[in-house]
Amino acid sequence: MSEPQEPTGPEPTGPEPTGPEPTGPEPTGPEPTGPEPTEAAPGAPRRRAFLRGALGAGAAGAVAGVAGGYAYRATRPASAGEVALENAAAGLLPPVPFHGAHQAGILPQPQRQTAVIAFNATAEGRAELVDLFQAITARAGFLTAGGTPPPVGIAGPPSDSGVLGPTVVPDGLTVTVGVGSTLFDDRYGLADRLPAGLTPMLPFPNDDLDPAQVGGDLVVQLSGGNADVVMHALRDIARHTRGGMQALWRIDGFSSPPRPSGTVSRNMLGFMDGISNPDTADQAEMDRLVWIQPGTAGEPAWTAGGSYFVVRLIRMLVEFWDRVDITEQENMIGRRRATGYPLDATSIFATPDYAQDPEGAVIPLTAHMRLANPRTPQTAGSRILRRAYNYDRGIDQVGNLDIGLVFTCFQQDIKRQFEAVQTRLIGEPLVDYISPFGGGYFLALPGVTDGGDYLARGLLA
Amino acid sequence: MPTVRRAALTAVLAVSAGLLAACGGSTPPANLISVNNGGCGGNWHLARPGWYTFQIYNSSSEAATVDLVNPADGAVYAEAEALGPETTSPMRLDVGSGAYAFRCLFEDFDPMTGPTVVIGGRTPGTPAILPVTNDDLYGPARVYHAYVAAGLATLVTQADALAADVRSGNLSAARAAWLPAHLTYERLGAAYDAFGTFDAEIDGRPDGLAGGVSSPQWTGFYRLEYGLWHGQGSRELSGVADALDADVHALRAAWPAMEIDLLDLGLRTHEILENALEFQLTGHDDYGSGTTLATTQANITGTRELLTVLHPLLAARYAGLPAVYTWLDRLDSLLSRTKTPNGQWVPVSQLSISTREQIDSACSQALEELAPIAAITEPRIT
Repeated sequence: MSEPQEPTGPEPTGPEPTGPEPTGPEPTGPEPTGPEPTEAAPGAPRRRAFLRGALGAGAAGAVAGVAGGYAYRATRPASAGEVALENAAAGLLPPVPFHGAHQAGILPQPQRQTAVIAFNATAEGRAELVDLFQAITARAGFLTAGGTPPPVGIAGPPSDSGVLGPTVVPDGLTVTVGVGSTLFDDRYGLADRLPAGLTPMLPFPNDDLDPAQVGGDLVVQLSGGNADVVMHALRDIARHTRGGMQALWRIDGFSSPPRPSGTVSRNMLGFMDGISNPDTADQAEMDRLVWIQPGTAGEPAWTAGGSYFVVRLIRMLVEFWDRVDITEQENMIGRRRATGYPLDATSIFATPDYAQDPEGAVIPLTAHMRLANPRTPQTAGSRILRRAYNYDRGIDQVGNLDIGLVFTCFQQDIKRQFEAVQTRLIGEPLVDYISPFGGGYFLALPGVTDGGDYLARGLLA
Repeated sequence: MPTVRRAALTAVLAVSAGLLAACGGSTPPANLISVNNGGCGGNWHLARPGWYTFQIYNSSSEAATVDLVNPADGAVYAEAEALGPETTSPMRLDVGSGAYAFRCLFEDFDPMTGPTVVIGGRTPGTPAILPVTNDDLYGPARVYHAYVAAGLATLVTQADALAADVRSGNLSAARAAWLPAHLTYERLGAAYDAFGTFDAEIDGRPDGLAGGVSSPQWTGFYRLEYGLWHGQGSRELSGVADALDADVHALRAAWPAMEIDLLDLGLRTHEILENALEFQLTGHDDYGSGTTLATTQANITGTRELLTVLHPLLAARYAGLPAVYTWLDRLDSLLSRTKTPNGQWVPVSQLSISTREQIDSACSQALEELAPIAAITEPRIT
């Protein structure tokens, strides 16, 4: 593509191919500027190099789809986690493609930062509800791709908060949107489209739920490499949807680097969290455990490709926990704290052999790991895709830390999966050290297939 | 493959910058628009529609405002405001079909307009908006001034009655008289700055005062509200009510000589409700009467008056104006529906979550729709 020179006049500094709301990152490299030195955006060339690498890796078939960008280096083998962390530190995670059969934020490993925000719809009538989902879709499409927000001249305040500087970087942002059962009440005429498995969140015997932090008509989870990207996205989406929805509760989360490297991120109890998870690269397993399949009995057709999304906000009473000796801690979890090994094994990902330990002599029958996933054929179908983040909300009334877990999981059927697992966990010894206080059941909507599609179109059309 | 295409573009730009540098270190970059009080941009060209970033360089020794305008009618596409001497500011816009010229304004000089560049065809770009001038705003300001004068005339009568009720110890009558008087004041939202120190005396909060609600420096409507709804008696409150009455009279007497800053007319179109969202809809400014929803409605009335006086200027300049009214109407109606069947207001804390969400949502959307008006009606010199 040739760019004719205009020696006596200004040059285009990058006509953007897609109009006032560019859907791709604009070059942020050095532009011809005035006499004043401008920022040369030191990260930018690296990002472009990185993007080329990502494309190359994708073409070579290394890792496709959502994880494609993680496999950007051909010269040195590096784990996806290492690469992601390195780029997260630089704020340069590649864009995660927004369009697809499923929402892009469901399968990836937890990112460094997340925010989960529940909203109630305030739109009046179905048409405004469509406007709301179209607005969320449009903003998510822009934010996940990155680009330069349009200038407004003298027509109003700046169109962007500026939190990420003049050019919005994607930094791995994913936007995952779900709907709660309350959206299907009489306001929008959606009662006959209620998904079969979508109910209000069931309170379990060990819960201490705060009604102000439970449920919501919609949930939005924003995950990315850095807190600024997540916050920028939240401000942007809220700004474009003020008349359509109102935030009900919100929690921020983070995941830690695996320590030591090559292991699995730890939660605030000091234990690795989510070691045993279904294999997201196994399409058949995802179709069995995560995605709602077309033609599922009782499920409206529009839910196909979606996934039930459970959020549980779980306080961890870490001061109490820290006063418990290590053997008792490990018996409650079923793993070694230092290494993540099952108590009966010598590697992290080893499968515990419960058949050899029917009395629980090595791994107690009440260990969290053993109850959650007994590893039997009968319980294989109850496995969930677990995606946990840590949260930090300051202190409580007695000066203890208010920290814990933003537990999220995705599944095909809440009753068969999350509730079955949680039912097995009722009364486990760990309950003394944790206190679930909020969250909700949602259905993560099917993906947005292309530019003409929007979130919840199948539900609302 | 937009990524590849952009990479190619960047390479071209880098090369051209390199060539320019090679031709002589001081050669200015191609998108530089240099202005001083002898010239506004010089000869310049645009090849085609698209996104451009001009670097506006003020080579003079005094501040300048540089607009990119349509020379036919003076409509402004983009602006570099108050650009200091020897400084550069980027000006970015989507250039569409139309006529473009830089216009420079230096203190003590007549505005200068540089050469015109025309882009043919029918490509849409960043729209230009006709600037609003001081002359445009004098009329609206006069009308608003008269609106405030009328409000103050009502207010003095109400404050007289309120003070009389407090002095005579008829505190239930005082509680009934307090709200209409306060709402009259709250409808005058755009004038608070013009009121000077009167505003803090008449409608100040205890925030920031040592002692808070016990501070003797706390005066005005909220102070009186606090006393009337917290069991304070006539003896304790007479001084408060009398001072309020005196302040209101003094303000009314001073008002004819007071001026509304022309800039405030546009700013207040969203600032009044920004304050309502911050202090009324949160319940912050409920000092006992539970009437912050009524105050919010009074604030809407004040906002509407501003929109009315600015309407002739906004109608041709702001495509979002109908949405402003849509959301103000919705908010207004939601607030009215919170009243009890016998017409009493309830504190925000007694509203259901869903009602509060509806109200907060409508107010927030109204604010988003109102926000551009301040930029559009900022007085500019043409």
